[in-house]
Amino acid sequence: MKRSNLPLEFGAEPMDIEIGPSHPAMHGITRLSTRLDGEVVTAVEVEIGYLHRGFEKECENSTYVQVIPYTDRLNYVSPILNNIGYSLAVEKLFGLDVPKRAQYARVILGELSRISDHLTCNGAMGMEVGAMTVFLWYVKAREYLWELTEEVTGARLTHNWTRFGGNANDLPDTFFDMLEERLKKVEAVLEEGVKMLFKNKIFLDRVKDVGVLSRERAIEYGFTGPMLRATGEPYDLRRAEPYLVYNELDFEIPVGTVGDSYDRFLVRHEEMLQSISIIRQAVAKIPKGGHYQHDRRAWLPDKTEVYGSIEGLIDHFKVIMEGSTPPKGEVYQAIEGGNGELGFYLVSDGTGKPYKCRVRPPCFNFVSALPEMLIGHYVGDIVPIYGSINMIGGELER
Amino acid sequence: MQTAKKPSVKTVQRQGGFLIDLYLPAIIGGLRITLRHFFRNVITQSDVVTISYPEQKRRISPRWRGRHRLTVREDGFIKCVACYMCETVCPAKCIHIEAGEMPDKSVEKYPVVFDIDELRCVFCGLCVEACPKDAIRMDTGIYSMASTERVTFDYTRNMLMDAHAKTDKTKFPSTPLPLTQEEALPQSTAKLAG
Amino acid sequence: MDMILDILTIPLVQAVIKILVFVLGFVMAVGTVLTLMERKWMSAVQDRIGPNRANIGKFTGHGALHIAADGVKSLLKEDTVPAGADRFLYLIAPLFSYFPAILVWAVIPFAGPIGSVTFQITDINTGLVFIFAVTSLGVYGAVLGGYASNNKYALLGAIRTSSQMLSYEVFLGLSLIGIFMVYGTVQVSKIVELQNTYWFDGLIPKWGIFTQPLAFFLFFTGMLAEAKRQPFDQPEGESEIIAGYYLEYSGARFSAYMLAEYVSIVAVSAITVTLFFGGYQIPWLFPDGFHLLGYSLALPPVVVALLQAGSFITKTLIFCWLIIIIRWTLPRFRFDQTMDLGWKKMLPLSMANLVVTALVLLLTA
Ligand code: SF4
Ligand code: SF4
Repeated sequence: MKRSNLPLEFGAEPMDIEIGPSHPAMHGITRLSTRLDGEVVTAVEVEIGYLHRGFEKECENSTYVQVIPYTDRLNYVSPILNNIGYSLAVEKLFGLDVPKRAQYARVILGELSRISDHLTCNGAMGMEVGAMTVFLWYVKAREYLWELTEEVTGARLTHNWTRFGGNANDLPDTFFDMLEERLKKVEAVLEEGVKMLFKNKIFLDRVKDVGVLSRERAIEYGFTGPMLRATGEPYDLRRAEPYLVYNELDFEIPVGTVGDSYDRFLVRHEEMLQSISIIRQAVAKIPKGGHYQHDRRAWLPDKTEVYGSIEGLIDHFKVIMEGSTPPKGEVYQAIEGGNGELGFYLVSDGTGKPYKCRVRPPCFNFVSALPEMLIGHYVGDIVPIYGSINMIGGELER
Repeated sequence: MQTAKKPSVKTVQRQGGFLIDLYLPAIIGGLRITLRHFFRNVITQSDVVTISYPEQKRRISPRWRGRHRLTVREDGFIKCVACYMCETVCPAKCIHIEAGEMPDKSVEKYPVVFDIDELRCVFCGLCVEACPKDAIRMDTGIYSMASTERVTFDYTRNMLMDAHAKTDKTKFPSTPLPLTQEEALPQSTAKLAG
Repeated sequence: MDMILDILTIPLVQAVIKILVFVLGFVMAVGTVLTLMERKWMSAVQDRIGPNRANIGKFTGHGALHIAADGVKSLLKEDTVPAGADRFLYLIAPLFSYFPAILVWAVIPFAGPIGSVTFQITDINTGLVFIFAVTSLGVYGAVLGGYASNNKYALLGAIRTSSQMLSYEVFLGLSLIGIFMVYGTVQVSKIVELQNTYWFDGLIPKWGIFTQPLAFFLFFTGMLAEAKRQPFDQPEGESEIIAGYYLEYSGARFSAYMLAEYVSIVAVSAITVTLFFGGYQIPWLFPDGFHLLGYSLALPPVVVALLQAGSFITKTLIFCWLIIIIRWTLPRFRFDQTMDLGWKKMLPLSMANLVVTALVLLLTA
């Protein structure tokens, strides 16, 4: 260590400290090699890869439908959004149309997962600055939503819900019965969060002007999602490159002004409220109809056909033995995930397995900008800034 | 490709000002909420959302994907025809089937060995979807299979049929193949090792 | 019988009995129970049930057995010493944070005197100064522990502790000077007695909170910082430097640190009650009974003493509870913000408080 490289006050010696991977706030999956001058961070090196599971390579050895359960494990706080993104990509490859009802159902469940994603992130931000209670309330609210998705998909987290041409099953009546009550409860929890944190100077001091990244730098880093919107850029894939039925729904895109942790917090909070309103609109508009449109290349026919007709049975066997066989080609399909642009790039060589499946994770860009956001801040700010980028190891390292 | 709609943008409101700089109003406001929760939960426990797990169980969705079971025909014989669909579609490769032949013309082919390694299973439900005979289901509602030994997660055919087998054991007299866990296990562990 | 009474009149014997009763019977007991109650209360705030699983057969006592379970567990755990640690300092450091929190109790009165028997371990005439001297010793436990652990996180925690405690002592002292001025003494028993005098014909008691309201807020804030409680707990900031200075400790020594934290909560509450909430006093209760607006109710001295002790204990417990609820309500400051708050806001405020107090005293004298 060369001392002359660093600005020294009172001859303090810089201290190198490893934050993570076994540090409670680093989720066990990131290491920040940090150099401190007193309490001030002067250099950071981010090391990732502790959760690399070879997702993309594994996809090449699986049939298209076998990838869907894997995508549940990408962003594990909003799994349905990953399901939707991947299925949309495959459907684009096939050129499939999804029934309207299924699209609405995807919007409803997708927005529920977006809320649960933001609840986790904002709650965790509260926890990183010591407001443990708010975190637990938010987790409680998230549980309400997970019970809703469980009602539809049959699992709390590993949903495996979308299929090529629709969804695995329809929204049941019990779901609609529970929905409004649950949304009200979530709104009440959010309201309590507002009262606990939004006017509390201790909290504001911790997040204001911390981890600032300008709009230009954010765009250069390739930021998307709430992180980009916090810098003031109203870029939202639901509007910029509309998919599903978002064009038929009204919502506002919240943007920040400064681009600090505080703006990110507020943007996420506002997005949750917007998502709740989107869900209400979608529930009012959802048409009757099927939840799944069969295409014999893509996925299974209806069970009555399988049991009742030899053609159905042959289709069934064929699509399972060979896998879904899209035409040769390549597609890129991105959706607005919990963290930003969640893109799937698929190459098909006409066989039943993807030739290449590449995921564009939104938070990779955030983590690469981490050093720039951290340097010059105090040790105590590392964790709140790190919390505000909502790094999800599953999608970052795949 | 849909056309992009013009977004309506809303700028979030940043808080600040003299009242906030005083600290106290927000602290008192926060205390009011925490105290409300405190007293409600101390006096009536009305807000408590935790469940005391082993004694109390959560309501699970009727669609809940729990432990598998193998269904049986009306005459009590296993429905599965050993078509290998579920084994093929399983992303975790945790189903192991060995087909056998039956002289009985109404059966012909049936699974001699049908093991599911529930430790590898990711509970995706694709096997249920892929079965053309409605022979495998995940509607048992069993989600807790905790054990300290790996071997207990190797569910053999008969364990998967247990709901039926418990009541109707006499219906299997002609089955010429292993029916106990010990007899079936060597095959599943051999598969794991291989 | 007579001999026993004779022995009981020896001051040393009296002191030993008081120490046993007050410290073991009250302080340690409350501190230990608080370790459980904090978890119970916080779960009530957070809509949870809290610990309730420790059991003997069917009996769980709503979680009361966790106290025993935790104690046994921490005693049975390995007491590790990290490589490169300063072994001697590392091993004795927990005691340094433990004793100051207990020593404070030497000057806290539990009830008014009955004749020559006082309910205070020792009534030194520089009581308040003693409290200060002792609480500032608490910093050594943290600093030594953090320094001796040979761990960078622990070192950061130790540095934060020392600077925070040293800074906050300054205005803590200044905020109390107002109390000295109003009551004209630093003897704790006198201060408590004087809080039983009244304005408006015996209507409103001259409690510290009424004579020095601003000083109360300053003092209470400073005391939270001294006890390293949220919102001033960045020496332990669990999300950034994990547990700060006691990061490396395990087993019994770890629980000594934990217990010290809870004992100091009790101490902080007791000091606050003594100085600002009339100590053991109950409004309108005098050594011979209640007097209010000409009505009176005579009571024997023993009953009065019991009532007073009850009032002191109740008030202390209420403050313990408040400190814990505050922790689960507020986020924590950043380290530099703590310093800012201390030096740039609290210090000028306590100075202003002094000036105003002095002026008021001058004008009303
Ligand atoms: S649920 Fe999924 S992982 Fe489990 S056995 Fe069925 S297909 Fe395989
Ligand atoms: S898919 Fe159904 S019938 Fe075929 S092997 Fe599996 S369980 Fe048996």
